[in-house]
Amino acid sequence: MMPLSFVRPGEPVTIKMIKGTDEVRQHLYELGFTNGEQVSIVSQVSGNLIIQVRDSRIALDKTMANRIYI
Amino acid sequence: MDIRIALAGNPNSGKTTLFNDLTGSRQYVGNWPGVTVEKKEGKLKGHDDVIIQDLPGIYSLSPYTLEEVVSRTYLVNEKPDAIINIVDGTNIERNLYLTTQLMELNIPMVVALNMMDLVRKNGDQVNAKKLSEKLGVEVIEISALKGEGSREVAEKAIAAAKAGAVGSRASVITGKAGEAVKEIEDIIRGSVDEKFLVWNAVKLFERDAKAIEALDLSAGAKAKIEAVVKACEKEMDDDSESIITNLRYNNITDITAETVKKARAKHELTVSDKIDQIVTNRILGLPIFAVVMFLIYAIAMGGWNVSIGTRATDFANDVIFGEWVPGFVGSLLGALHVGEGTVLYGLIQDGIVAGVGSVLGFVPQMLVLFLLLSILEDIGYMARVAFVMDRVFRQFGLSGKSFIPCLVATGCGVPGVMASRTIENERDRRMTVMTTTFMPCGAKLPIIGLIAGAVFGGSPLIAASAYFIGIGSIVLSGIILKKFKAFAGEPAPFVMELPAYHIPSVSGVLRATWERGWSFIKRAGSVIVISSIVIWFLSNFGTVNGQFGLVENLFEDETVVTEEYVAELADRMNVPEEDVTPMDASLLAGVGSTVSPIFRPLGFGNWKPTVATVTGLVAKEQVIGTFGVLYNYDAVAEQAVDEETGELLFDENGEPVKAELSEEGDEIWDRVAQDYTPMAALAFMVFNLLCAPCFAAIGAIKREMNNAKWTWAAIGYMTLWAYVLAFITYNVGGMITGEFGFGAGPLVGIALIAIIVYLLVRKGYQPDESVKSLTSVSANAA
Repeated sequence: MMPLSFVRPGEPVTIKMIKGTDEVRQHLYELGFTNGEQVSIVSQVSGNLIIQVRDSRIALDKTMANRIYI
Repeated sequence: MDIRIALAGNPNSGKTTLFNDLTGSRQYVGNWPGVTVEKKEGKLKGHDDVIIQDLPGIYSLSPYTLEEVVSRTYLVNEKPDAIINIVDGTNIERNLYLTTQLMELNIPMVVALNMMDLVRKNGDQVNAKKLSEKLGVEVIEISALKGEGSREVAEKAIAAAKAGAVGSRASVITGKAGEAVKEIEDIIRGSVDEKFLVWNAVKLFERDAKAIEALDLSAGAKAKIEAVVKACEKEMDDDSESIITNLRYNNITDITAETVKKARAKHELTVSDKIDQIVTNRILGLPIFAVVMFLIYAIAMGGWNVSIGTRATDFANDVIFGEWVPGFVGSLLGALHVGEGTVLYGLIQDGIVAGVGSVLGFVPQMLVLFLLLSILEDIGYMARVAFVMDRVFRQFGLSGKSFIPCLVATGCGVPGVMASRTIENERDRRMTVMTTTFMPCGAKLPIIGLIAGAVFGGSPLIAASAYFIGIGSIVLSGIILKKFKAFAGEPAPFVMELPAYHIPSVSGVLRATWERGWSFIKRAGSVIVISSIVIWFLSNFGTVNGQFGLVENLFEDETVVTEEYVAELADRMNVPEEDVTPMDASLLAGVGSTVSPIFRPLGFGNWKPTVATVTGLVAKEQVIGTFGVLYNYDAVAEQAVDEETGELLFDENGEPVKAELSEEGDEIWDRVAQDYTPMAALAFMVFNLLCAPCFAAIGAIKREMNNAKWTWAAIGYMTLWAYVLAFITYNVGGMITGEFGFGAGPLVGIALIAIIVYLLVRKGYQPDESVKSLTSVSANAA
């Protein structure tokens, strides 16, 4: 497993696990990041990501992106 | 009894657009999540007994940010008669997540499947009928932007509210968790309203703190519930919240698999994605933003051919409010036999027309700026800017989310301060509230326009610098404040949904522009009129050498105005003897000159700018309104100047030669320019841009801080920062440009710079980050 921030833009990847405090995890769930969900990276700026997930684009900073493992 | 219908849905799903359509109101709509931060209500058009409630967007009923709390509290505690759940048709899966939670509230509900025009354009298909059957809730296709289907949704919601009954709804909590929830229902049955049994049971299963608190269960019941939850968690090897979330999504995926057909393959890049790859690019993102901002300010406020804003405002100032309006009012007053030189004539022409006119003259410039910003917002670019700026802001202890309030504040500081509610972390939010109004708001534009136009010959550099002074102050303040204990700690992580780009709608953009411009014009017609009248009276009446009256008349009497008196007045008012005007003897000058020594170190220590600055607290555009009144003295009284030598002209009898009446209407601004050295003018601008905002914005700060100490701290900090920066601008800037030599002023200025640098680089308070490092350690270990 590796954090999402390691992924190059383009290829779709599948979420395996989300870490962090309950609150943060819950918020990521609500935004559509759940285990088994396929996401792809649209853009990457020094670790900050724009991610395509469930037909929406979510911007996450490095610390958040590091909590999502693929 | 009134029927209350709440609009609930994900951020940026079009709730406010539908709200405006249903109620005929004109609430502000923007293309980024979190535009609505407060609930707003309005009456349904044609139904006086139906109240529509617009709520801030939420992703779920477990609030993460402050404005989400507003929505949850309303839905859960105040319980509307019906809910219209707006679902973004282009992003059904994620939107239905909230829908499944809302369904558990057991309140009559209608789902409005919004943006169907876009769905069809994309070639996608949604089977609304089937979706409706699967959910057990009525689903209606609409396009809020085009007004399609909104009436139908409202009618259905009213019917549902009147029926009061909730049909059999699909439950997404199935399997083992479903059994556990049923067990909890049995435990709490009787101690909660039967209607909200399911909602409460699910929330208890998720261990939602707020729901537990609200229920007041016995210790025994709590223990039993905990046992049920623990058993289920153990069996499913996951925590209860995740179990529920996964169930919701799994069931939603099953539903959408049967009801939604996408033309596009999953993870194929959309046009929005392709644009994002460019504008949020690692290398190009910031330069693109800088160029966009520069272009906007160049068009609105620059001094070139393309600068339509400046040209329109010059025309308004010089021609409309310089010649036409005073000419028209003059002939009107003449027809009414109000002669020139009477008090009434002076009040109307020099007070109201000059004061209000000088403010209204800047309306064209503002409309151009607002139009351009509205277009950018509507396209969806602003949300990307927050992402691009996050990287920059993070270096200064703020997150990219702080950038949205700053951007909103370029229109008006009040909504800017309120927009800080989307920031999750309280420290970050307070810091944003404290610094947001550093941005030049619409009302400050006339100040910038005046200084850049009158003193610096329309230099776009000065106009743009105002913007950078604002951003710079926010950045530097961020770094400095972060080192104090109250603000120390990492900024909250940046999480934000980026809306899809769309071509701006002409009506939407024009409306947003007009709304902002109109509120400015309205203030000019109310607050500015009154302030201008007050200022005119105070600046035209006073005591001259012991006699009270209209100062101008008293000055014509040479028995009253002696040379010694003029000399004494010049000394008292801190102006050269030959520049003394009747106004210097006015009441306002008296008050102003007692305060003005405070501003003397900043280079503008005479009473006129002092009064202008203080009146800026009423509304920032009043700064210019006040100048309009104070510098609109009778031009006939001015002495002619030799064009070559610049010396005052006297005729053969030694009497001063009167200057010819200038044809140009902008002579007010020329007089202003004469009164200030460039650096003093710049210092004046810096101080007025950064100091305590207008009363309305101070009120907003007070509301958001919700604490007197923090409010005063914010206002005190802003004013102190403004003073220090203006001091440095005048003293150090003046030394560099050669306005004066090295002395105590520049020395103190340099010392202040040193102090700022020290505050920027010092180590500062180090918070105990053991809790945080724990989570990052565990994250790294995995």
